[in-house]
Amino acid sequence: MSTAAAVANAATPNSDHARPPAHRHQVDRVRRKATSRPLVAPAVLAILILSAWWIAAFLADSTVFPTPVEAVEGLRNDLRNPRFIDSILTTLRVLFGSYLAAAAIGTAAGILLGLSAFWSRAVLPVVYAGNSIPKITLYPIFLTFLGISDVSRGAFAFVSGVIPMFLIAVEATAGVSRLHLKLAATLRLNWPQLLWHIVIPSVVPALVSGLRLTFGLTFLGLLLAEMFSGSSGLGFEILRNVTLARMENILGEVILIAGLALVPTLALQLLERRVHRRFGAGR
Amino acid sequence: MSRSSVVPSYVRPPRTRVLGLPSALWTLLLVLGIVIGIEFYARSGAVSPLDLVPVTEMVSSAGELLGEEEFISGDLVPTLVSVVLSFALSTLIGVSVGWAMVRSQWIRSALQPYLNVFYAVPIFALYPILVVLFGTGTVPIVILSTAFSVVVVISHAVVGFDSTPPIAEKLSKSLSLSHFQHFRLILLPSALPDILTGLKLGLAYAIICVLASEFIVSTHGLGRIVANAYNSFNTPTMYAGILFVVGFALLANVLLGAVLARFDWRRR
Repeated sequence: MSTAAAVANAATPNSDHARPPAHRHQVDRVRRKATSRPLVAPAVLAILILSAWWIAAFLADSTVFPTPVEAVEGLRNDLRNPRFIDSILTTLRVLFGSYLAAAAIGTAAGILLGLSAFWSRAVLPVVYAGNSIPKITLYPIFLTFLGISDVSRGAFAFVSGVIPMFLIAVEATAGVSRLHLKLAATLRLNWPQLLWHIVIPSVVPALVSGLRLTFGLTFLGLLLAEMFSGSSGLGFEILRNVTLARMENILGEVILIAGLALVPTLALQLLERRVHRRFGAGR
Repeated sequence: MSRSSVVPSYVRPPRTRVLGLPSALWTLLLVLGIVIGIEFYARSGAVSPLDLVPVTEMVSSAGELLGEEEFISGDLVPTLVSVVLSFALSTLIGVSVGWAMVRSQWIRSALQPYLNVFYAVPIFALYPILVVLFGTGTVPIVILSTAFSVVVVISHAVVGFDSTPPIAEKLSKSLSLSHFQHFRLILLPSALPDILTGLKLGLAYAIICVLASEFIVSTHGLGRIVANAYNSFNTPTMYAGILFVVGFALLANVLLGAVLARFDWRRR
């Protein structure tokens, strides 16, 4: 289907005047209006969704479906429970460890492999295939070998994060500009100098975006692991409340998880923007 | 290859062979190495047969599973149905929402910040709520998987629609195409390569989400087979199930990739 390409070729110079200037101004005005107050539209949408939730809960009028207020109330009750606080801390501790390990090892191994075009071509198809399978079904293997503990949950979260981080690092390293490599060769840079002066500055923007993506995937992996075989942790708390059918607590926990996930993500997004300003937006 | 060159290896053209073998053969060797390694490790006696079974045994129990009527109609087909339904829904909804975002600046600025952070929030946390509301059947799985896979379709569709050449937009104006004609004849074909990339990711996401939901809480499906086998210490069946999942995911990706490549005019 190459209609668009054909259309682009067939377009005559006359079509330059096709769009009346008035229309273009209108578009500009709409765009400026939307960007000058970037928070209005998302806030309106949030309010719409909240009220829809409220009305649905009011119409359903059941004990199963709570209103937003009841959900927040459920969360506040949970937060008074020391065991629940313990669960949050466990999740955060395991998440912190596996995320750091996934980020560090994925980056280092990725840059190392990315430096060799031949071995990248040989190894990458296997890793891409591994990345596309639903890893959660491999989780029982972690359980059999590592036992039901924070270790197996952390290891699973690590694997969920390290593969995408690795892939991003390999692609970024493989994409280092050939011109820069030639410059390095002219300057007779050795490998450590090449890494420090050419490769790392070129891959930093992609790596920072990778850090943000990897965080979400590591957290998701950890929650799934906790849901399947938790003895503690937020995923376990949610699933326990399912068997008790305590909807207001489940929804409260979902709100808490969203908050926990959003804070580092927004921080990483800020970092990403600064890095992109400093090093360029990458490829 | 001469090693005396003063040209550092990082600017020389990449090697095409190592030890006389091209990279594709090394890929094959790597896969074979992993499979044979597992086979020997499992047979060596260093690991309990409750923990790991040889690959040959995994394959034969997978064959046994395929022979069972109950497995086909009770698990394999429901998983397939869930994946196909979620994928179809997220394609339809994803492209429509992407179009709406391109048409209306308001919708776009309202949705964009949420789309940016969507994959940071483990949306899977909502699954238990859906289970309480809709039971443990196909409905909550399809709802969750559609929600999970639709966002990547939307993002790619918007990128595609945005990259429509301005000259094509002008042509559409001069022919005074209707909104729908503009969509069908200009926007859709021009954005197709990006949309297809989004669909490929969307299918991978849908498969991941369907299997994960089946794995955590469900009464049927491939994911449930693995979880049940694990809980009842039925190690061969567990690995057979995992083998099915891996094969299913890889096959689906390869097939969709081949189908989509036919529609991608940028690669022709």
